[in-house]
Parts: sequence; C-alpha cells; structure tokens
Amino acid sequence: MSNQTLKTTAESADIHAAPPTPFQEFWQYFRRNRGALVGLIVIGVILFVAAFAQYIAPYDPITQDRTAFLKPPFWMEGADPRYWLGTDAVGRDIMSRLIHGAQLSVSIGVFVVIISMVAGITLGLVAGYFRGWIEVGVMRLMDIMLALPSLVLALAIVAILGPGLENAMLAIAIVQLPHYVRLTRASVVSELNKEYVIASQIAGAGHTRQMFINILPNCMAPLIVQGTLGVSSAILDAAALGFLGLGAQPPLPEWGTMLSEAREFVGSAWWVITFPGLCILTTVLAFNLMGDGLRDALDPKMKR
Amino acid sequence: MALLEIQNLTVEFGSEDKPFRAVDTVSYHVDRGEVLGIVGESGSGKSVSSLAIMGLIDYPGRVTADRLSFDGQDLLKMSARRRRQITGKDIAMIFQDPMSSLNPCFTVEAQIMEALKVHEGGSKRQLRDRTMELLNQVGIPDAKSRMTAYPHQLSGGMSQRIVIAMAIACNPRLLVADEPTTALDVTIQAQIIDLLLKLQEDSDMALILITHDLALVSEAADRIQVMYAGQLFESAPSEGLFDKPRHPYTQALLEALPERSEGHHRLRTIPGVVPGQYDRPQGCLLAPRCRYANDRCVSEQPAITAFGGHDVRCFYPLDDQGQPTGRTA
Amino acid sequence: MLGFLLRRLGDIIPTFFGVTLLVFFLIRLIPGDPILMMAGERGVDAVRYAELQAQYGFDQPVIVQYYHYLVGVFQGDLGRSFVTKKPVFEEFMTLFPATVELSIMGILFAVIIGLPLGVIAAIKRGTIVDHTTMTISLTGYSMPIFWWALLLIMFFSTTLGWTPVSGRLSIFYYIEPVTGFMLIDTLISGEKGAFVSALRHLILPTIALGTIPMAVIARMTRSSMLEVLGEDYIRVARAKGLAPMRVIMVHALRNALIPVITVIGLQVGVLLAGAILTETIFSWPGIGKWIVEALGRRDYPTIQGGILMIAFLMMSVNLLVDLLYGVINPRIRHRR
Repeated sequence: MSNQTLKTTAESADIHAAPPTPFQEFWQYFRRNRGALVGLIVIGVILFVAAFAQYIAPYDPITQDRTAFLKPPFWMEGADPRYWLGTDAVGRDIMSRLIHGAQLSVSIGVFVVIISMVAGITLGLVAGYFRGWIEVGVMRLMDIMLALPSLVLALAIVAILGPGLENAMLAIAIVQLPHYVRLTRASVVSELNKEYVIASQIAGAGHTRQMFINILPNCMAPLIVQGTLGVSSAILDAAALGFLGLGAQPPLPEWGTMLSEAREFVGSAWWVITFPGLCILTTVLAFNLMGDGLRDALDPKMKR
Repeated sequence: MALLEIQNLTVEFGSEDKPFRAVDTVSYHVDRGEVLGIVGESGSGKSVSSLAIMGLIDYPGRVTADRLSFDGQDLLKMSARRRRQITGKDIAMIFQDPMSSLNPCFTVEAQIMEALKVHEGGSKRQLRDRTMELLNQVGIPDAKSRMTAYPHQLSGGMSQRIVIAMAIACNPRLLVADEPTTALDVTIQAQIIDLLLKLQEDSDMALILITHDLALVSEAADRIQVMYAGQLFESAPSEGLFDKPRHPYTQALLEALPERSEGHHRLRTIPGVVPGQYDRPQGCLLAPRCRYANDRCVSEQPAITAFGGHDVRCFYPLDDQGQPTGRTA
Repeated sequence: MLGFLLRRLGDIIPTFFGVTLLVFFLIRLIPGDPILMMAGERGVDAVRYAELQAQYGFDQPVIVQYYHYLVGVFQGDLGRSFVTKKPVFEEFMTLFPATVELSIMGILFAVIIGLPLGVIAAIKRGTIVDHTTMTISLTGYSMPIFWWALLLIMFFSTTLGWTPVSGRLSIFYYIEPVTGFMLIDTLISGEKGAFVSALRHLILPTIALGTIPMAVIARMTRSSMLEVLGEDYIRVARAKGLAPMRVIMVHALRNALIPVITVIGLQVGVLLAGAILTETIFSWPGIGKWIVEALGRRDYPTIQGGILMIAFLMMSVNLLVDLLYGVINPRIRHRR
C-alpha cells in the first residue's frame, strides 16, 4: 500500500517538473553569472544611448563654441556649466561627442560582425561540407591571414583601401573572417558524420538545404559567442585605427579618433583623454562579459 | 584497540542550512591485518567516507565525527602537518582509475620516489633501489626499463600496479582500495585483487576494499559492510552476510547476483535508484525501493541494532528464512 | 621529435609563401601607378619613367616580377624605402632590437604578474580574491592600450613626474649601439646612470604593452589550473601526504603550464600589434612606429617589408613554441 502511494507521488512530481525549454535552460545558466548580467545591462544602456543619440545629446557633436575651449567638467574649477563633461580644444561638447560616438561604435561593431559572420559562415560551411580542394584553399588562405597580428593585417588592408571609416570597417571585417571560418568548418566537419545529417541525405535533401537548414543551426552556439566577442574586438580595433589616424576621420566623434585629437593635451586637459577611453573600455568590457556568460551558458561541457 | 576507529562520521556538502549528507553518521572499525569489504551502489557514500579518512574532503565539504582515530591518535584533532605525516605513510589509498591516477608529466620512478622521499628520506641511490624493489614486488616485468617510463606509455593493468607500488611504498598499516579494479579489463581484475591480498598477507597490513562487486569481496574480505545512500545498512562477517543476510537491501543485492539466482526465470533487480540530494525519503532511506516497507518505514528512520550476529539498520530484520521479523500487521 | 618538427614546417612553409604572395600583390592592388607615387608631386618625364620601370622591373610580366621578388626575399633584399632610399631590411634590423627589448619586457611583466594571479585565483576559487582577480584580468583584456598608455603617462609622468614620457634614453647620454638592446648597451658603456635611465624609459611602455598578455595569461592559468586541480592524480598526490604547496607548485602547475605556454606563444601577435600602438605613443624607435610612419608616408616598400618580416617572426615564434610544447609535454614528445 505504502509502495503504491509513493509511486503515485513520484509520478505526479514528474509531470509537474516539465523539462525547461532550451531558452529557459540557457537563461537559468546565464542569469547565475553576475558579470554577464552586468554586461547585458550596460549593453542595453549603450544601445539605448546609441539609438537615441540625437535626442539625448545636449549639443551637436561637431558644432564648435568659440567661447569655450578646453573647459573642464562641471565639478572642476573654471568649468562652464553648460558643458557637463567639458569641451575639447575647439570648443565642442565632449558629452555630446561621446553620445554620438556610442552610435558610431555600436554600428561599427554590429556591421563588422554581421559582414564578417555572413561571409565567414558561408566559407566555413562550404569548406567543411564539400571538403577537398575547396577546403584546402579556403583554410590555407585563413592560415595566411592568421599569420599576421590582426591589427597589422588591418593596417595592411587600410593601406590598400586608404584611410576612412568605411574602409577601416571593411578591413576589420576581413581580419575577423578566419575566426568564423575556422569555427564553422570545425563544427560542420564534426556534425557531418552524425546520423541526422546522413538521414536527411538519404531522404534526398540538397546541398543548400543540408548546409543551411540542417547543419548550420547545430553549429550556432560557438558562433554566437564568437560574434559577441567579435563586436568588442571590432570596436577596439576600429578605435585603434581611428587613433592611428587611419579609421574614422575628424570631425567624426569616433572615440578612438577623439583620443587621437586629444593626445597633445596629455599634460594639460585630462578630461579630453579620460572620457573617450573610458567609453571604449566600458563598451568592450560589457561585450566581453556577456560573451563569457554566453559561452558558459551555451557550452554543454560546462553544464555537466 | 582497533587500528582505525570511526564513530558517527558525517560528510556534508552544499549550503549550511540545506546540506546534502553524502555520509550519514557512519561508525565502524578496522583491526590490524584485517580485510574489510565495503559494498554499495554508486552514490552510497563509500568513496566519500574513505576520502574523509584520508583527509581529502575539501571545502565546501564538511567532515565531522565523534571519533576518527588511527592507532589511538585522533585524526581530526591533530594539525594538518601531523596528519600529512600519517597519510601516505601509515594510511595509503588506491583510486579507481589508474590511468588518471598517475601524473602525466612525471616518470614512474619520480612518482614512486616522491612518497618515499617525503616520508622516509634517504639518498637518491637508496630511493631508487627501493623503487626497483617495489616494482618487482607488484609484479612489473622488466622493472628497470619501466622506471623511466611516462604514464601514457603504460597499459591500464600496468598503471594500477604502479599505483599500488606507490601506495605501499612506505609500508602502510592501512591500505584503502577504492574500486581498484573497476576501470580494468576483466582478465586483469583478478590479478590485481590477488596482488592486493598477497601484499596484505605478507605485510600484515589492514585493507579496506571498496567495491560494488559483491562476489569479489565475498572471497577477499573478513568482514563486509553494506552502505546505502550514505548510511551503513548492515555489517557482518563475510560468510554470515552471504548465507543469512539480515537487511532486505543485502538480500536484494545478493538476489541480483547471477551466480546466486540459478533456477530463477529472470534475474531479480532492485527497482529505482539511490536517492539523491532532492529526493531523500523522510523515513528509512530504502523505503521507496524495499519490497517489505510499510508505513512505519516511510515515516520513521530505523537505528542500527544487533540482530543474529549482524549489525542491521532495519525495523524488521530478516530471519534465517529471509522473512522479515517483528512485524505486527 | 624530428618528425614533429618536419610536420610543423610542412604547415608553415606554404603559409609563408602565401604571405609573400599577399605582400607582393599589396603594392599592386593600390590604386594608382607606383612609380608616379614614388616620384611624388614633381612628376617624371617619359624617359625617367621608363628607366624607373625597368629598374623596379615593372615592365616584366607579373609572374616574373614575383619570382624576382621571392629571390630577393631569400637573399634578404626587401627593396628600398621610397623615403629614405635605404634598404628596408637594413632599416628593419636597426630598429628591430628596440621592439624586441620592449616585447621581452612586456611578456616578462605579463608572465610575472599574470601567472601568479591565475594560480591564486584558481586556488581561491569562488572567493572574493578570485572574483577581484578575474575582474582585473577581464578589464585588462578589454583595455584599449593606446588609452591605457596615455593614462599611465598622465599619471606617472605628468602628475607624479616619476617616469619619462618618451624615447628610450635620456638625451644626456649617448650610447653607441652594440647589441641594439638599450639595457645591455648602457651596461656595456659603463656610463653612470645610463642604465637606470634606460630602465626608467622602459617602465611605462612595458606596462602598456604587457597588460593584455597579462590578462590573457591570468585567465588561461586559472582555467587550466582549475581543470588540473580536479584531476585524479592531484588527489593521489595529496593522498601521498605531500604538503599543499608541493601539490600545487609541482603536480598541478607543471601540468597546468602546458596550455599556458601555448597561450604565451600566441601573445607574440598581441605584442607586435601592441607595439604598433605603444611605440607610436611613447616615441619608441622600433618597428611598430616605423610601420605606422611608413603608412603615413605611403612608403610601400617599407610597409611591404615590415609586414613580411612580422609574419615571418610570428611564424618562427609559433614554431618555437610548438617545439617547446613538445619538450614539456611528454605525451607529444613520444608521439610518432
């Protein structure tokens, strides 16, 4: 009798504890990582600021106020109360420039990663799926690209294309390409021998269907992580190119470019240097935190 | 006085307010030169209790005991330093998987000599001679060339012999062998057990043999105890346990042995699994899986009592015919 | 071991040829005529143009040009700078020691700080120490080093006046380059105070350059240590009655270092990329600054040669790391 009651309670417990959906499960793991949550929130704020830069920024980012050169932030002596974070050497409001800079940096990060991922995933899929000389050719090319430090390769590409924001973005997208190609190819090769792929091949699925509908979704987890981390390195590289005068050109309020213009004030006006860098650091850090959290939450090895 | 005495050993993991008891108030003792078999399913706490004896439970695990003494010295009350002088020298342990028990970065020789050097010292030459002697003792052919081998160059059986040599290097008085044959090929298993028993006899050390293989301990051990979900369920001399199991769990385990179920149509199995952290029953831990359980078993936890020469944790220990006793309804 | 070396060389050599191809076409992909570009605003007349074309071999088929280029590369001829007219290889070799000196200091800084941080974080897993260490490490990893360098200058040089702002040596000293490594040369020269001056000039660039590798090494060491500490052989070592320190430093660290060494090797790329920014900021006369300046002046032979040399360097160091990896990891050493 007691056996009976126990059995029924056990069964009912099973019914109530419905297995979580993949997203719920992912969220469960992600939520536990406090750093990742902070990263997510910061990214949310940055995205908001970037989206509504025109409305949030108190001033136009490139309008110069000839009455207020190099004014310090509001808590300092000699500050101009109109400009909270002070002004730069030609009297532009630093806060407005930073806010518009967020728009630039976020678009750089997102566009670079989208371009690079689409191209990289396609190349990786083709290389991993068809194998043979295509694979050898593609992977060899990627090896060559990886033989150079990413910034050096980006410099070389900018040297060909010429300086400027669009060219810098394209250069960074090319530089990131090998990571996506390698990751995709490795996943594809390991998925290729699994039963479900063979089964749908027998069922008559064509190459395109196999690659994009059957195999690709099963390779996405590491690519999502790499994409998130890619956003942060794209922002960082773009800022570095801007700093070297090869990325966004003045008067665009790109953070790296702002730093490049501010270099000469290293001994006199700390605020023109500190704030743009802080913005870069915060943004990059947020994306890295989230990337780490995603990796932990999506990595099946960590779950066990 | 017993060599090893354990009273109410408890090992807890997890948070303070909702701990998981991996080992639950276990008491037993091991005499000098005795072979004690500890049997249980996975998750029964048999490995964890031996790790507690070795002092290898780390934070956040918590070890408590009324008494945990070796040769009259309380292991829990001494300094960490003093305790390390005992572990590895007087008490040694062999782990389940020999392949992962050896450090891949060091040679066989270096790993055996290390324990010798720490506990006994001596010149490099002496240490090397003793290592060679140990390798011969555990039956490694061509010991000289194996000395400088790296673990990845050895087979599983060979690795386990090295691990044993490492454990007996300082002539321990108690050797704890945690499933020493589980990871090995069937053909090698008997060899390793024979080796352990031979070493035990030759040097008169005590041996705790932990396994889930009842048939194996039945031949090797003087005394056997059965563990379940962190608790001690039954403790008895080998023959007694096999001929007249007093605990329903022991009975069920024995019935699940192929060699003991001749004539039956199908092998009897025990339904269900060992309870984990979240589904621990309130009463007897076996109640959900016990064929004799009644309401009392479900609501109340039995204590250990002496019955028919065994120590049994059951309200209704089995009689000589294998039927529960003392049931009123 | 020899087989291992040959196999790695088999991977590297085609890649190197690929890089030469890339670099060779770099100059041909640039819009505009290289000779006109070289001539600058003054322009050239038709005769001179033909002369120059013949001199640089631009009148020959591309494949022949590539062949001549390759032959030149293997003889150490990377062409001449448009600007200084000096051989690129020679310029590279003059400036290279400065970058090497800075990079060595940077990686030393990274290892000396990063490795212990990672070990401590792993041992104190889940505690405040671990969280703090890993927060510092991730911040370092996310650091825009050009900004970090400026901050360091602002704080230590401008505000505190402790360290010089730029260069390798105070202008009060003149040291004849012998090895090209300022720390060594100043010691050899025996001039009083020169060594200290060289050291002081190195501090900030070293920190700026070493920060990202430091963060990477700390993170890698931590995760590698954590993995190793969970291994059975660590339990076995403790069961031998070894002191915790010995278990960690000998049994755990030795194994944990194997992947860390690889990561340290991979930092060469990070260092070279970092050198470009760091050298530019600190006016450090190394190849990073040289390449950035060449980019500004559109000095294509220099850009070409510099990139080729960097690729060659990276591949050589990676090969070296692979070999080292074989030495410390017996499982690889014995594989055939």
